[in-house]
Amino acid sequence: MVQSSRFDSLNLNKICGKYRVSLWQCPQFLFLVMGMVIIVAIISAYVVASKYQEPELAAVSVLILAVVLFVVGHMIISAFEKVATASLSKSEFISIMSHQLRSPLSAVKWQLNMMLSGDGNAAVSNESRNFLEAIYDQNERMIRAVNDLLEVNRIEDGDLVMRPSLFSLFALTGRVAGEFEKFSLVNNTKISILAQKDLPMVYADEERIRRVMEHLIDNAVRYSAQKGDIAISLEKKNDNVLCKISDQGTGISDSEKTRVFDKFFRSVNAARYQTEGSGVGLFIAKSIIKLSGGEIGFSSLLGKGSIFWFILPVRRGGGPINN
Amino acid sequence: MKKILFVEDEESLQKSLGAALEEQNYQVFRALDGEAGLSLAKKELPALILLDLILPKKNGFEVLSELKSDPSTKNIPIIVLTNLEGSADVERALTSGATTYLVKANYTLQDVIAKIEGVLSHSK
Repeated sequence: MVQSSRFDSLNLNKICGKYRVSLWQCPQFLFLVMGMVIIVAIISAYVVASKYQEPELAAVSVLILAVVLFVVGHMIISAFEKVATASLSKSEFISIMSHQLRSPLSAVKWQLNMMLSGDGNAAVSNESRNFLEAIYDQNERMIRAVNDLLEVNRIEDGDLVMRPSLFSLFALTGRVAGEFEKFSLVNNTKISILAQKDLPMVYADEERIRRVMEHLIDNAVRYSAQKGDIAISLEKKNDNVLCKISDQGTGISDSEKTRVFDKFFRSVNAARYQTEGSGVGLFIAKSIIKLSGGEIGFSSLLGKGSIFWFILPVRRGGGPINN
Repeated sequence: MKKILFVEDEESLQKSLGAALEEQNYQVFRALDGEAGLSLAKKELPALILLDLILPKKNGFEVLSELKSDPSTKNIPIIVLTNLEGSADVERALTSGATTYLVKANYTLQDVIAKIEGVLSHSK
């Protein structure tokens, strides 16, 4: 269709088709019906009143129309209810399914932990160890995908509850960077961390900030596209700690900059360099940082690289720690 | 030798974490359902309890509140070890007296043991 975008909001067939409900269960269509009933009601009340002089007739016609309006109104409300229940049972389904998925994933994880731990079983040959480590990495990838699914679900339900405590962002950064050591080596890049001395603790949900850090470092490594290194810096700024993650990779084009934090958004470059990824990482990161009372942002130059930064609050009394 | 009670219905998890704890010289008591967990807790009075939430016979929340209302067991630290992560579940477990709440899939065996040691050293 030519005049598509502007008149899309008037194309009820299309809108109701999206909800996968029949016209008589579609709120938008029912509203239209109600509007028409009101217009007919006003006109017919006028006609009846001017043609016949009996007030009873006018009263009866108004009464009939009121009943029709009541019925249509009821249909609209139950249609909305249906949509609301559908979305509720969808998110319940997601949380039950992810629990079902996590149980076997954690069983595999712990058993591999057992086999790979040094004192656990010395009989594992080097070759088997490599295979087991590969299985472990794939299992971790599945766990992260399930976590992302759950996190997006919670964000959309407004059910993302933070459990803040004081912790060292420097120590956390070190741990996450350590986890990415192998991955960055494969991608021909190195991660370095530079932290200001006497950096105060931050007050936030450590587990969730860890996920933010994982997403940001993962992106930096992925989109480094085999060139340049990754520098992470930590410094105190007023009552906050500022964390910057800079890469020298592909960068983000100006036209895509406004959509970087959108759910499911993946830039053209992203799709070209990396087939892996669901496009929810930065959406999750932004939601977590915002709920932690912080801020997140980035600057980027196409072909030169990107700097993603976030700040987290320092609660008063969070004394300096030694680096 | 410190006693740890591990209440978990999934046998493969019982095997892996149970064995890892025994390697660390803990005496591990295993329960495969909530009722068995409760009676073992009262009989052995362990130094720490690892508790799953979805359990047969009695679920983890019931076990938790019964342990916390019994004077003989109410001071035993409890680590909830589950794959449930709804904010309502976390909230309920923590307000019912659980010391920590860990999502199994997000922790390695080594992490879990480190958390156990942390809780035990605090409760001394």
